Amino acid sequence: MNLYEWEAKKIFQEHGIPVPPSHRITKPEELRKVHLGYPLTLKVQVQSGGRGKAGGIQFAQDLKDGETKAKDLLKMVINGSKTESLLVEPRLKIAREIYLSVTLDRSRGCAIFIASAEGGIEIESSTNVVTMPIPYPYHDYVGRDLAKQIGLTGNLLNKFADLANKLYKLFESKDLELAEINPLIVTDGDEVLALDGKITICDDALGRHKCFAGWQETHMLDLSEREKRSKRAGLNLVELDGNIGILCNGAGLTMATMDLVKAFGGQPGNFLDAGGGSDTEKTLEALEIVHDNPKCDVILVNILGGITACDEVAQALVAFMKRHPERKLVVRLRGNNQDVAEKMLAESGLKLYPELEAAVKQAVEQSKVPAGAKR
Amino acid sequence: MILINKDTKVIVQGATGKMGSAHTKRMIAYGTKVVGGVTPGKGGTKIEGIPVFDTVKEAFQATGATTSVIFVPPFLALDAGSEALDAGAELIVLITEGIPPQDAAKLVAQVKAKGAKLIGPNCPGVITPGECLIGILPGSIFKSGPVGMVSRSGTLTYEIALALTESGLGQSTCVGVGGDPIKGMGYEEALSLFKDDAKTEVIVLIGEIGGTAEEEAAAYIKANVKKPVVAYIAGQTAPPGKRMGHAGAIISGGKGTAQSKIEAFEKAGIKVAKTPSEVAKFVAEATKQVARA
Repeated sequence: MNLYEWEAKKIFQEHGIPVPPSHRITKPEELRKVHLGYPLTLKVQVQSGGRGKAGGIQFAQDLKDGETKAKDLLKMVINGSKTESLLVEPRLKIAREIYLSVTLDRSRGCAIFIASAEGGIEIESSTNVVTMPIPYPYHDYVGRDLAKQIGLTGNLLNKFADLANKLYKLFESKDLELAEINPLIVTDGDEVLALDGKITICDDALGRHKCFAGWQETHMLDLSEREKRSKRAGLNLVELDGNIGILCNGAGLTMATMDLVKAFGGQPGNFLDAGGGSDTEKTLEALEIVHDNPKCDVILVNILGGITACDEVAQALVAFMKRHPERKLVVRLRGNNQDVAEKMLAESGLKLYPELEAAVKQAVEQSKVPAGAKR
Repeated sequence: MILINKDTKVIVQGATGKMGSAHTKRMIAYGTKVVGGVTPGKGGTKIEGIPVFDTVKEAFQATGATTSVIFVPPFLALDAGSEALDAGAELIVLITEGIPPQDAAKLVAQVKAKGAKLIGPNCPGVITPGECLIGILPGSIFKSGPVGMVSRSGTLTYEIALALTESGLGQSTCVGVGGDPIKGMGYEEALSLFKDDAKTEVIVLIGEIGGTAEEEAAAYIKANVKKPVVAYIAGQTAPPGKRMGHAGAIISGGKGTAQSKIEAFEKAGIKVAKTPSEVAKFVAEATKQVARA
């Protein structure tokens, strides 16, 4: 879950990382209650990157100017991401910008610091970047090492090291996937502040952090209704443009099935991975979500039961067909409890395709038959 | 065969839970030597005819096992894994899905320090067909033979194993290393075992989009593995920027594409199949070549 800048900064502040004074507004007229002096910086709060380039950061010279700009900014959509609010801050005089983040490195299998003496940059395209594996258990000297490695000296070395240590502790204690300060600025008054921040919380860890209870619901602004339903049901849905609804268990199998549909000339309408061990109820909700896509002409179900029991899936299919007898379905079901499942589905009159490629070919063929035709 | 065989004794952590008990039963039915279960507070009882212990230490001492398979809930997995390691586990198979990656990283650090082996988290487990099955794989679709398999996916492993088995190509050992970004055994460790295994003639590597593990494996194979390798990459048509089910399966910042992985394999002289059935076809060709050599 990606947090908005204003939320990230609130968390930074709670963990001793200094941020500029700020105010969050959701209506232009709220700017009247902001007493931070002018000029002001107005920043759209979106979950997408590329905000500055898209014009999502504006400066206001006075209240009138600010209200006009705020009105437009609040309507902005950046890369499909809607503006949730505006964060208003005094425009600061910047002497220097630095980059600092903590994330997990999958190749090394551990947390890493990424830092650069140049901030405000796109870190992926910069060459002047230091990557440092973080030892576990953690020690504060690591922050100083990092400061040294990016070439800081004197007072700034100590201030930066302190912030790096605090950022790592925040990263660890809140189960973050990413904690980023970009840029970390040094003002002309020698203050070190997090001018912009990004926090990604690990979805899998949300259940053990009471402080984030209910946040998932408030961070679904950019999701479609079906994506929201999937998230609530613990299903992995990615919407695609075609007309073949795909439902499988397991990410790799779902991707492979999607690839096969394309290879055989069909167009996947979605990717839905029901995950491991889905029971009848969860499978039924998955079927309903795929079914509810107005572009969907046929549903292709491919289940290989390991931790998922085929009979649970079969039960969901029987219930689904009762609700939606008109829906075209192509089903392939193999693995644990396959025999029970086959019997149940034979009774319901559904033809099964034991071979994956035959099933995919059948679904592609069906997807080309005009809507309304019987399966 | 690698990692496990007919003599491998295994204990099940979380054996009395819903998943744990169901798969304990399946593993025993397959012929795996499941010698004990561990559930704190249920020591002295039995499940599926095997004794349950309160701690891993007791279970290992009483049974002589050094392998543990873990089915506990996600937030308890780091502790369960640490307990197994400190009790002297040499091989841990961590099935649990949804473990916070920072917990996985902490477990991986301990595994490295102890020189043990960890398969998972979020993995289907490992099978040496006809001898030993540890995890949740459906045993009936595997059969014994010369093909070693390593995969980041669970059900896709079954799909490809099924294609191999139906083509008469059995497997030496299949290892599902799991789809999480932070995990124990990766391709390299599995490949390093397969390359020296007498029974394994051909290696199948099943990858997917996201990360750079396949590119690194390609370089490793080129430098170290003489046996023929057949690769398959899932997600060839995945859109960028979307997490495709697995936490690790995402194309971000132009990195982790199927194309980059396929190119890396082809550059290393490794055949890349476009469909699961093509994997079986390429493996059949490779086994014939091995037989001629």
